[in-house]
Amino acid sequence: MKNFTAFLQSIVALIALLMMDSSVLLHAAAAPSPAEQLFAELAKLKPEQRTKRLEEGARMEGKLNFIHTFRGKLARDQVKLFEKRYPFVKVEMADMGSQDAAERLIAEETARRHLTDVVSLAVPDLPVILKQDLLANYPTPATGRIPKKFHGFIDKENRWLPWYWSEHGVSYNTNLIPPDKAPKDWQDLCNPAYKGQVSFDPPETRFMVGLYVLMGEEKFKGWLKCMGENQPIIQRGHTQRMNLMLAGDHAIQGDNFLYAGAQAKKKDPKTPYAIVYSAPILAYAGAMVVNKNTQHPHASALFSDWTLSDESQKYVADEFRSPLIGRHPYLPDDATVVPFGYVSDEIVNRLHAYWNQYIGKKK
Amino acid sequence: MRRRIALDGGRLALALIILILVYQVVIPLLMVIWTSLKIERPGEAGFFELSFSLANYVRAFSSGDFWRATWNTLCFALTSTLLSFGLGTFLAWLVHRTNTPLARLIGIITLGRIIIPGILITVAWIFMASPSIGILNSILGVRGLFNIYSFWGMVWVHSLEMTPLAYLLLSAALQSMDPRLEEASQVAGAGHWSTLIRISLPLVLPAVGAALMLLVIYTVETFEVPLLLGGRAHVRVYTTEIYYNTARTPTDWGLSGAYSMAILVLCAVLLAVYFRLVRHGERYQTVTGKDFRPRRLDLGRWRYVTCGLGLFLVFLITGIPFLVMLYASFLARYQPPSLQAFQNMSLSNYWEILHDWAYSLYPLWNSTLVGLGTATAVMLLVSAMSYFVHKTRLPGRKLLDFLGFAPIAIPSVVLGTAFLWFYLLVPVPVIGTLKIIGLAYVTRYMAVALRFVSSSMLQIHSELEEAAVVAGGRWLTNFRRVYLPLLRPGLMAGWFWVMVHAYRELTIALMLARSQNRTAAVVIYDLWDNGSFPQLSAFGVLIFALLIVLVVIGQAVGKQFGVQEQL
Repeated sequence: MKNFTAFLQSIVALIALLMMDSSVLLHAAAAPSPAEQLFAELAKLKPEQRTKRLEEGARMEGKLNFIHTFRGKLARDQVKLFEKRYPFVKVEMADMGSQDAAERLIAEETARRHLTDVVSLAVPDLPVILKQDLLANYPTPATGRIPKKFHGFIDKENRWLPWYWSEHGVSYNTNLIPPDKAPKDWQDLCNPAYKGQVSFDPPETRFMVGLYVLMGEEKFKGWLKCMGENQPIIQRGHTQRMNLMLAGDHAIQGDNFLYAGAQAKKKDPKTPYAIVYSAPILAYAGAMVVNKNTQHPHASALFSDWTLSDESQKYVADEFRSPLIGRHPYLPDDATVVPFGYVSDEIVNRLHAYWNQYIGKKK
Repeated sequence: MRRRIALDGGRLALALIILILVYQVVIPLLMVIWTSLKIERPGEAGFFELSFSLANYVRAFSSGDFWRATWNTLCFALTSTLLSFGLGTFLAWLVHRTNTPLARLIGIITLGRIIIPGILITVAWIFMASPSIGILNSILGVRGLFNIYSFWGMVWVHSLEMTPLAYLLLSAALQSMDPRLEEASQVAGAGHWSTLIRISLPLVLPAVGAALMLLVIYTVETFEVPLLLGGRAHVRVYTTEIYYNTARTPTDWGLSGAYSMAILVLCAVLLAVYFRLVRHGERYQTVTGKDFRPRRLDLGRWRYVTCGLGLFLVFLITGIPFLVMLYASFLARYQPPSLQAFQNMSLSNYWEILHDWAYSLYPLWNSTLVGLGTATAVMLLVSAMSYFVHKTRLPGRKLLDFLGFAPIAIPSVVLGTAFLWFYLLVPVPVIGTLKIIGLAYVTRYMAVALRFVSSSMLQIHSELEEAAVVAGGRWLTNFRRVYLPLLRPGLMAGWFWVMVHAYRELTIALMLARSQNRTAAVVIYDLWDNGSFPQLSAFGVLIFALLIVLVVIGQAVGKQFGVQEQL
């Protein structure tokens, strides 16, 4: 019984400690952190002086803790390139989904364990972190390298640094649909000829926000309504749906990353895959965000800037992802790209409600 | 007859178990309860304040969709449980209690199923019975004859997935059964089937109860099959409803917590039913001071029928997924079997994995360490727990059982978060190591392991320990030399189950992974996420081979120490 009482007391003490900690954290949020002060100072230097300071500082720090949202070998090989370029920085990398990465940063910072320096996140996943003011204000001349057509990805307050983009688009199996009978744009997916042949993931905020930006709210609603009547296939897993479509399970990817099919076609040219280039491609940025409380600010800045280097961007393109700088690995130059970021919670809730009304609950 | 704990060793062990349960179960459970009663997310102002709300519960349970999903879940759970229990019981009886030819092979292949990564199993059945590209439909030339994207498709795939669990639980019990009662039944004129139904199965009632309870809970909790098959069939069950309601950025921890509490209540109810079922523990005590060896029934010519049936079942359970995995592992991209597909086969997927050994083999080593360590720790812990629950009269012993069983109600994603938060807050240096994954797995697998051991514990007559006490044995000596050896069938089966599941568990491993503690399951997910189904299959074949070697070594080592039971 004594043990139990002691246990309860320790739990209460832990909770009290946490209450104090979270208030400290929130109170501290307003003032610039030491890392932010350093970044502001660095921003006043000429580019070459800045680079020199970063390299010297990173050499002294010698380490970087990074969470990548590329996975496995794809992530590791990119980091290897950085380590080859800057052998004095040892990168400790974890890889996970963008949402999980955001949750982990929040958990670590709330517990005042500043374990992560930099995270690569999809911009639509940023609001949860922005609300808690965990991101360093990081002005960098590296944004100057981003072409004008992608300037919509840049944050005016310098809280994130875009370094690649992800694409949602329409694609199909050429064995099941000849090119002349393929859909030409998003609206065509409502064509009764494709009834039961178009697949989607369960409601995805990113995809719906992209279409909302492309079509506007009313048109988006109408599109969902006619899509719902066309009996779409709803199956979770982008990769799995792509694999199933290529194996002939169904004909069209109503929403998927385009790279998986393009990559498969490169590996095996007989792969029955084609992209509907005439349908606008929905694009959101992947961004580097620096923890406000980073313990390795120089290495964080050096790494973030490096992701926009020619070396890193070429790697992105070679792996069939979408670089911000340089030629796209498989999209034509004149492809229509619709960039989007994040929208308010109210809009997101409405989009999900429309999905549930027209597609999600249909039997 | 149950004894009061009077020995210091016993009290010490009990105190230790309580401490471990508080550390491993109570704290994560409190975190789940706390989160379920908060509107604020972890990290937000007010999350740790002492103000609570039932808003998450209202949101969770006020929707009509939720209750429709609950009805679907009940139907899914009942049908899957009955089918997998029937198949598992039949296979366990065939392997351990009959003279069916190739019985041991049938048993080994049944268990081989557990080793194949779950993602591959469901996908394998999609390739077998998809209405448009299913191999079965192609062979029969009728498109859509078999449709895996249906309620019955879900039941079929999930039942085959659960059959090895029923098989393992029943196997352990059947191996510890004194055959004299069955012999008496037959002397009295009862036939084989009548003896099986009226004598053998009632004698293993604790194992039957445990199997049914676990099968129901696992089915309620299962996610992959309903998501991949049910989503397309518009059949929403409890877990997919939770997923659809919480899988938005940011994660809705409060709602997840409320749903977890509902599963916890279900577990408590099932556990109460189980306790009622086995309240007369002495009725199932078939392991006594008298020597015995379970007798195998001579089935006569019927043994060839059971052999054929057994081989057919294990072909469905293990053979088909394994063959699809093997076939896909030689392809550049997945395509239905054809002459062209066979002509284009190569070993390139294996080469790519083995060539990059640091990436793929290091996590395999990590998984081996975590699997072996977790399985051993969990089995020792639950053996002691089971002893106190079933062989003593301690007040609150059922609470001990409940605490050991409660983690089954905590979804992996919530458990992983609870451990991450706990070790971020408590200065124990385990973050980024295999230890944190091992600790989480101890909690995760405690519930199933406890049922394995409890079923065996109920079969052991208390007279054995009483004799040891009279002979002057201390508690630890008696426990080590009397109970642990007699618990071998349950221990071996549970150890195997935990080891293999710790090897393939993904959600917790992903949540707690950093650069140095990646496990094989994380590699599987990476390969899957990067779109390489054939490479994933090749990795699955390698894991399968490695685990078979580990199990064979385990059995060989076991035999050195006198463990004769086969899994």
